[in-house]
Amino acid sequence: MKWTTTGRRLVATAIIAPLLAAPALGASFLDVGKQAPINVLINASPWYDGFQAVVALYEKQTGNKVNLEVTPFPGMLEKARNAVRAGGTSPLDLLNIDSQNVVEFYAGGFLEPLKEIDPSFALPKEVLTLDDAGCWDAKKQFRTCSTGKLMGYAPNGNIELFYYRKDVYDKLHLKVPKTFDDVLANCKVLQKPPKSYGYVVRGQKGDSIFYDMNAFMLAYGAKYVKDAENGDFTVEINSPQALAALKKYIQIQKACGPANAGSLGQGDLIQLVQTGKGLQAQAVIAAFPNFDNPRKSAVVDKMNAAVLPAATPGGKPGVAIGSWVFAIPKNASEAGKKGAIAFSKWFLTYKAQYAYAEAGGIPVRTDVFSSDLKNKEKYRWMTAYLDEIKYGKQILGFKEGPAINQMLGLRYNQALVGELSPAAALNKGAQDMYDLFKKDGRKTGMLPPLPE
Amino acid sequence: MALAQAPASEAPRPGLSDFIDRHLGWFTLGPAIVLLVLLTIYPIVNLVLMAGSTINFQQGHEIWKFSLWSNLATLLHDGIFGVALRNTAIYAAISVAVEMVLGLGLAILVSSMRRGKGILRTLLIVPILLPPVAIGSMWKLMYSFDFGVLNQIVTGVGLQPVNWLGSTSLALMSVIIVDVWHWTPFVFLILFAAVEGLPSEVIEAARIDGAGTWSIVFKIIIPLLKPAIVVAALFRMILAFKVFDEIFLLTSGGPGNATEVVSLHLYQVFFEQNQLGYGAMMSVAIIAATVVFIWIGHRVSSAMGRL
Amino acid sequence: MLVLRGYSRIVGILLLALGVFIIVAPFLWVAMQSFKYEIQILQGTWFTMPTLYNYIDVLWSQRSDFMTNVANSMIVATSSTICVLLVGTLAAYSLSRLKWKRWIAAVFLGWTLIFNMIPPLTLVGPWFLIFREIGLYQTLFALTLTHITLNLPMTVWMMMAYFNELPKDIEEAAMVDGCRRIDAFWRIALPLVRPGLIAAGVLAFVFSWNEFAVALNLTGRATATVPVAIAQFSQQYEVQNGQMAAASILSTIPALLLMFFGQRFIVQGLTMGAVK
Repeated sequence: MKWTTTGRRLVATAIIAPLLAAPALGASFLDVGKQAPINVLINASPWYDGFQAVVALYEKQTGNKVNLEVTPFPGMLEKARNAVRAGGTSPLDLLNIDSQNVVEFYAGGFLEPLKEIDPSFALPKEVLTLDDAGCWDAKKQFRTCSTGKLMGYAPNGNIELFYYRKDVYDKLHLKVPKTFDDVLANCKVLQKPPKSYGYVVRGQKGDSIFYDMNAFMLAYGAKYVKDAENGDFTVEINSPQALAALKKYIQIQKACGPANAGSLGQGDLIQLVQTGKGLQAQAVIAAFPNFDNPRKSAVVDKMNAAVLPAATPGGKPGVAIGSWVFAIPKNASEAGKKGAIAFSKWFLTYKAQYAYAEAGGIPVRTDVFSSDLKNKEKYRWMTAYLDEIKYGKQILGFKEGPAINQMLGLRYNQALVGELSPAAALNKGAQDMYDLFKKDGRKTGMLPPLPE
Repeated sequence: MALAQAPASEAPRPGLSDFIDRHLGWFTLGPAIVLLVLLTIYPIVNLVLMAGSTINFQQGHEIWKFSLWSNLATLLHDGIFGVALRNTAIYAAISVAVEMVLGLGLAILVSSMRRGKGILRTLLIVPILLPPVAIGSMWKLMYSFDFGVLNQIVTGVGLQPVNWLGSTSLALMSVIIVDVWHWTPFVFLILFAAVEGLPSEVIEAARIDGAGTWSIVFKIIIPLLKPAIVVAALFRMILAFKVFDEIFLLTSGGPGNATEVVSLHLYQVFFEQNQLGYGAMMSVAIIAATVVFIWIGHRVSSAMGRL
Repeated sequence: MLVLRGYSRIVGILLLALGVFIIVAPFLWVAMQSFKYEIQILQGTWFTMPTLYNYIDVLWSQRSDFMTNVANSMIVATSSTICVLLVGTLAAYSLSRLKWKRWIAAVFLGWTLIFNMIPPLTLVGPWFLIFREIGLYQTLFALTLTHITLNLPMTVWMMMAYFNELPKDIEEAAMVDGCRRIDAFWRIALPLVRPGLIAAGVLAFVFSWNEFAVALNLTGRATATVPVAIAQFSQQYEVQNGQMAAASILSTIPALLLMFFGQRFIVQGLTMGAVK
């Protein structure tokens, strides 16, 4: 019976909350005038409900129609490509593209710079740029706002945070770790397989391990290439710093993770946390609302978030941003482009972002993070997020990004499951990258190989 | 199309059905040819052209460049493709062989039942009714190291939990198990129809001549089923070479390269890395590999038939 | 058919029961998950108070178009199955009985086989272009056409196998008696391959019902089919297992019903042909 009542209450709150919020905020939202209907490509995701609520609010306020083309995550890239590549008018006016793949759209000239549609368009200074996710310098072929044009903005900035069980910490008098060695110290106490695991990080081959390894790589000061922005693609992944990071990662996986760490994907990791087995974890912020949802979690109100650990005391954490980018196709209709700009202006205002956060989205304005919301139990992750986002890095802002992600995603995994030694894995990864750059005619080179 | 509407009553309109009868060849094969011409020529020709090119996008336009030789060179030096091809061949050989044996056995057993054939057939095909994405996700739950039903059983009988998907030596077998569960019904369905279509007089005659059950199965039923067995094996092999969703969801090809198969590698190259030319070349190579695999399978099974 | 007696009959029944159990058990397990909350699924709990939450969420949540998706799938799967059976059976009979030049038959069959081997990933782009150009993008008609084409190779090859299994002499005897080829097909051969038609029909239906890659790209929100809807529960950061299980169960029910009635329809249609 407990389940049903809680469930009902949740559903009721979800429906009523936006209705209550709307009239209170109504009067002073941005007025964007009458616009043609627009079609938005958006993915089914944990924050979709929040986005949908904000869109409904926009429609109500402005009378402008927004059609949401809700698409399963695996189909997003394909639909976006079809819209811009097939010629003719794009059926979609605003595309949500993964920040890793968006480079391909920038480089291919498929997107319209936002200021060329509306010269008055600018991101409010409070909006997080997430390390220049939305900018592109066509001459340098690199993602940067200082010399590039504004092509889009992030509707959702996802980073990984350090999660821990506050009830367990209190009971065992543990402290939030500042370094990976602190994590190891904590997990000496916490690791009791198969009852509980000290620290869960993804290890599955591919994007899973590649993305999670960034927390180690960036913290240890490792780099993928020397200076991509200025065209120097000398491969640096087989540096001593990278080796230290990979070794630390493997050490933590062996000492703190489950036996199947080498195949631990996003779903498995969240399963371990939500069932209460994973006592410390590194995971995306998008997962947090699920921890407090009694239908999905056995650790309601027990999780807390902190900034990711660093390599040394006083060091910086390694924060890789995995965001989405909202952008407008060059081949969208004129009316569609205008409508998309109008919606974007409205969506990025404080009020809209506030409502977005309230309905379950992850906002992109700093002033929403530092508003009264952060004091509410439900948003207790916001402080950690704001502390951490300043270290955030967009990685691999060039066209070989997806290929490198897969190359290294394989090599790291081989090192984790013991097919290769850490040094050999990095040497092989460096060779893969070097060959790729060579083939693409980049200026490239390599560090001397690590002793295996 | 008109053929199906030809009335089967006492007095067929002689004009129309005679006309159809005189040109029966074109009326029967024609619709299929029209469909294939309209919808398959362009994709296949496009694929072949792409395989010999490099395709880039600039200013929103496709730019094609001839690069047949460099695509071929890339293919020859692609170590992962080699590993994936080997895994796919192992995967296809084991899963298809097991499915053929189980499917044939089930088909003969079900057809030997006196009652309940309809309900048995319905029960036995439920796996192919589930969408592959659901099959991948659900088996992933069942294989879960900490919570899965399989490890609940294993630990329930006092053994250590099995690392189904996370161990390099077990992972390929684990995905083959899912494939066998998923696709045995496919073989069963094709062969069951063939068994049901067999002339029963032949079997009864053999029975009267004193032949035992096994010799009826091997000397009479299996030889008579040969056309259907060939078709079932053929399409199962093609499907096995195309396997994607289940492996993608279960292991993503890992750990290491333990379950990397050609379609996963193609997905990465063609789709995620957007290398259209080389990806197309790889597709052509996969098709060629499938043909060779089928040819080998044919030789092996006919050699076994002669023993 | 093969009749098992005594000892071997018991062994046969036991083996069959085991086979049915192994095949059906995971399906029942999925059905069980659909009545649990996500956390109970994740914990692998066995005994829980069943809930309809997942079904309610799949059917009536704000983002859901599940009823529309089911209707779309029914239209596409049913019409593509009927068409592919018709086109494929005619072609199969043609190749099996009429005297085509060898190279025509070889090219036709080889082409269908090669087409069947193409990774769907590389088919989608060209088809998207074709249907955009002729203005059929995001229509059920376009999706139906592609499904007929996708399932044609298997249908032709299967039906050929079943026709080849039939002894030719019955038809030939009838034709000596003055029966036309078209009547030999319609009244003699077709009723005899009825089990084969049902098998081919079931497979074409199932493949169309579960086809994802093409449906994703050729449909829009209003024309999306069930697999596209179910894929939405497999997200970037989580799999909504409860909803996915519920949606899978909901998706198999209409498929089973349609196949059940579809079989009767085929059987009756053919016996009508066979009256004379």
